[in-house]
Amino acid sequence: MFIVEYLKEVTNAVKSLATGMKLTGYYFTHHKEIITQEYPDNRATLKMADRFKGEVVMPHDANNEHACTGCTSCELACPNGSIKVITKFDINADGKKKKAVDQHIYRLDMCTMCGLCIEACPTDAIKMANTFEHSVPDRNMLVKRLNNNGSKIREGVE
Amino acid sequence: MDISQIIFYCTATFILVTAFLAVTAAKIFRSTIWLLFSLFGIASLYYWMDLQFIAAVQTVVYVGGIVVLIIFSIFLTHKANDAMPKPPLMRQVLAALASLFGIALVLYLVYHHVFITPPTTVINANIDTIGFQLISTEKGGYSLPFELASVLLLASLIGCIVIAMRQGTAQVNSVD
Amino acid sequence: MISFENIVKWIQAFLSAHLPHIWVLAVEAVIIIIAAIALFAILGLVLVIMERRVAAFMQIRFGPNRVGPWGLLQSTADTIKLIMKESIVPDNSDKFLFNLAPFMVMIPAMLILAPINFAKHFFIWDLNIGILFVSSISSISVIGILMGGWASSNKYSLHGAMRSGAQIVSYELSGGLSILTIIVLCGSLKVSDIITAQETGWWIFRGHIPAIIAFVIYMIAVTAETNRAPFDLAEAESELTAGFHTEYSGMRFALFFLAEYINIFIVCAVGATLFFGGWMPFHIGTWHAFNHIMDFIPSSIWFFGKTFFLIFLIMWFRWTFPRLRIDQLLNLEWKYLMPISMVNLLVMTVCAIYHLHF
Repeated sequence: MFIVEYLKEVTNAVKSLATGMKLTGYYFTHHKEIITQEYPDNRATLKMADRFKGEVVMPHDANNEHACTGCTSCELACPNGSIKVITKFDINADGKKKKAVDQHIYRLDMCTMCGLCIEACPTDAIKMANTFEHSVPDRNMLVKRLNNNGSKIREGVE
Repeated sequence: MDISQIIFYCTATFILVTAFLAVTAAKIFRSTIWLLFSLFGIASLYYWMDLQFIAAVQTVVYVGGIVVLIIFSIFLTHKANDAMPKPPLMRQVLAALASLFGIALVLYLVYHHVFITPPTTVINANIDTIGFQLISTEKGGYSLPFELASVLLLASLIGCIVIAMRQGTAQVNSVD
Repeated sequence: MISFENIVKWIQAFLSAHLPHIWVLAVEAVIIIIAAIALFAILGLVLVIMERRVAAFMQIRFGPNRVGPWGLLQSTADTIKLIMKESIVPDNSDKFLFNLAPFMVMIPAMLILAPINFAKHFFIWDLNIGILFVSSISSISVIGILMGGWASSNKYSLHGAMRSGAQIVSYELSGGLSILTIIVLCGSLKVSDIITAQETGWWIFRGHIPAIIAFVIYMIAVTAETNRAPFDLAEAESELTAGFHTEYSGMRFALFFLAEYINIFIVCAVGATLFFGGWMPFHIGTWHAFNHIMDFIPSSIWFFGKTFFLIFLIMWFRWTFPRLRIDQLLNLEWKYLMPISMVNLLVMTVCAIYHLHF
């Protein structure tokens, strides 16, 4: 019957409105779930998520060794040319010449944080750090050298 | 002249000036706004007379109802900011004559009519009294005009529905 | 004991002791004007910060919390910014109407303050037809919006104004009918009579089901009448940039903005008066001891508490529901709210005649 349908429609509408208001009312009364970070105030305790892509870094271990073979895969993978790997040839113990990284230049000012270089790296030598405070007084400071001074490739990484 | 009379003359001047501007304004929307002020001035005159119910009805019906409808029809038919064309001279002369005749008639009536002095007792504008008066069939009751107005409204409502009604079958046929 | 009633009496006695009658009236009028403007300014500041904080909490955010303690001075800072901004008038606009429109929105809002009882025996003009006066003046407030939309000579503004006009004119009906539902119970349009009639309990409890339905319809209708989300089609920032006030800037914009919040306050004050007894404390029938305890809370606190509760409710709507389309809006009014409120009025009349209410 028409009138029954009509009333059913009205009650359903009221019910759905009440459901929505219940949810926002729940949020209103539960302040602990607030997700906004008051950034400069909570700098000491702020913890960024691991998945956050801040900049490309090359981890070095305690012996100042990294895993970069200088294969330039990352340079080829980078869509906007923000990585430049300058290679050199090391003479290893056997007297053979071996390609190695001399300077891994990373331009943070051109980087879009797409992460393709990390995917391309065969030895997992570079990764995304979750730092985000990148402001510097001069943009030349955004051109970074990722491998440390005097670092060398870790033993066993090919 | 006491303060009450000063207020009356101020309101009356306001009504007359805005009414004059309403008929002389070059842009139709401005003329509507002057009409609005004029009607609002009349409502304030009712408040001055302490006839609050009439004043509120004046505001609802004329200011809030009719003027809003006029504004709507202007919105639908006019472009913003175009001035109305100047009426031809013949029409201007006729309009001036008509309004002069109107003024003369009103002045004649005002000066020759013997006004009954209003009763000194305060009119009891109680809402109950107004309600009973509206539907009373005795002397001074407004039952007949009330019913007539309702019949008129009903007729216009039915007219609206008839105009707006979709001729379902006819349309389907034409599409086929 | 300090109450608004005593302050008014004291001012009246003080002035009439020192001045002739006509000057007493004049001075009182000036005091009322200053008080009304001060109330508007304070309400604007308080409601804007309240809206932003409520919105923030409902969206799991903090909201403004930097200026002053807990961000309470944020709206003051915004006002200072708006005062200092240039108020631009578009070249092609109708300058006179463009400048007039913000005042045409504010003046009705000021007029409606007259019959509202802010505390026990504290009002500007408790006229015989109080509620009718409120609804008659509120039907004017649409004209300021129409005027502003037209005078801007901007298509967005014109669209916004037309939508707003259609919306306000149609929602006035169901709003008016739900007001009538309570008037039927009281048998008076005078605001103070409506409040004293609720001495043994507020109408929303005593009028049971029809009163609750009327209250729901009233809240929906006034949300639409004040152009608030989910009925903010007149502004609809995603479609019409800002609707009727697209071309307004600086203090002229601030007046429109202020008028929106003042109108919310007024409709909520009227709602509180009709359904929650205005300044009347929470009374239950003949429990005299309980009623007497409730009377210790000042009447102004009761009034403002109820009004702000209703304002919170309207803000709650705004931050919960998505905006309606224009056809949905008109369907809701003409196919649902109108018939329901008419039937509801009939039910309430039967209740009032046979004393089926408490």
